Amino acid sequence: MTRLARYAAAAIILGLAVVLTLAFRRDPHDIKTGTVGKPAPAFALPSLADGSTVSLDAYKGKVVVLNFWSSWCIPCKEENPALVDAWERYRGTDVVLIGIVFQDTKDAARDYTARLGNTWISALDDDGRVALGYGVFGPPETYFIGADGVIAGRHIGPIDEQTLLTGIETLRKAARQ
Amino acid sequence: MTMSRMVLLAAVLVLAAGVAWAARPQPLTAAERVDRISAELRCPVCQGLSVADSPSETARSMRALVAQRVAEGRSDDEIRAEFVRSYGDWILLSPPLLSANGLVWLAPLLAIAFGTWLAWRRARAPAAVPAEITPAERAELGSLVAADDQ
Repeated sequence: MTRLARYAAAAIILGLAVVLTLAFRRDPHDIKTGTVGKPAPAFALPSLADGSTVSLDAYKGKVVVLNFWSSWCIPCKEENPALVDAWERYRGTDVVLIGIVFQDTKDAARDYTARLGNTWISALDDDGRVALGYGVFGPPETYFIGADGVIAGRHIGPIDEQTLLTGIETLRKAARQ
Repeated sequence: MTMSRMVLLAAVLVLAAGVAWAARPQPLTAAERVDRISAELRCPVCQGLSVADSPSETARSMRALVAQRVAEGRSDDEIRAEFVRSYGDWILLSPPLLSANGLVWLAPLLAIAFGTWLAWRRARAPAAVPAEITPAERAELGSLVAADDQ
């Protein structure tokens, strides 16, 4: 192998090492492409409970946790206890939890919330436009929207209580400053 | 130029003009625009499928949104930009050249340039000159040949 060929091979290996290190370093639950850091797309959807309008504009100035879910999604059931705990902790405060029903029927979604005892607001995104606007890949996905209306973070996959509380408290702190 | 050659040349020119006219870009219908844009968008819930090729619910929603935007009179660039705002450049099956993902276009060109340079260097390298035999080697060879003859 000539000296030049050795240098070329070393350059290729180093390049590969950089690409792989950057790729594996990334947390697959925390993908920052798309809408993170930008104003949250507005929406006005019918609520799952009674069909009244659920509008993001109505919660301006509050910390909003937007959770995309489906009754057919098993990871959604896994993360539900964490959402219930957060809801119990923050209901009636400056934090709002809104569920967006993703590619599901109204009856199945109502049955799901009744069975699991979810009492926070959920809205029906029948044509999937809100999910497309937020850049959703699939349920469950959770977006943290600050009091300034900007999407501060996004969690792909089932969320745990600690991640949920950390995300909420970070935004509450930012809102107070 | 003889008359027959001029006639032949004119015939070739008429043929070329006819082919060029027939192959001119045609204005696309709305449905064709929807198909073309959908073929350029990645289905977010699939493995390497375009929105046009995927039967998934998400791809159906995306196609419907593209159709609505086309009907509203949005340009192709505006429609693509709307999806890029939500999903990033990743949503485009052919990433733009001036982006991090655009490296996929540059990498093969760099590899070809490097290979061409390597081949050029090899071609220019002087041919190996056979080494001269030393007097000691000549003497050793002579003694070996003499021993073989005996």
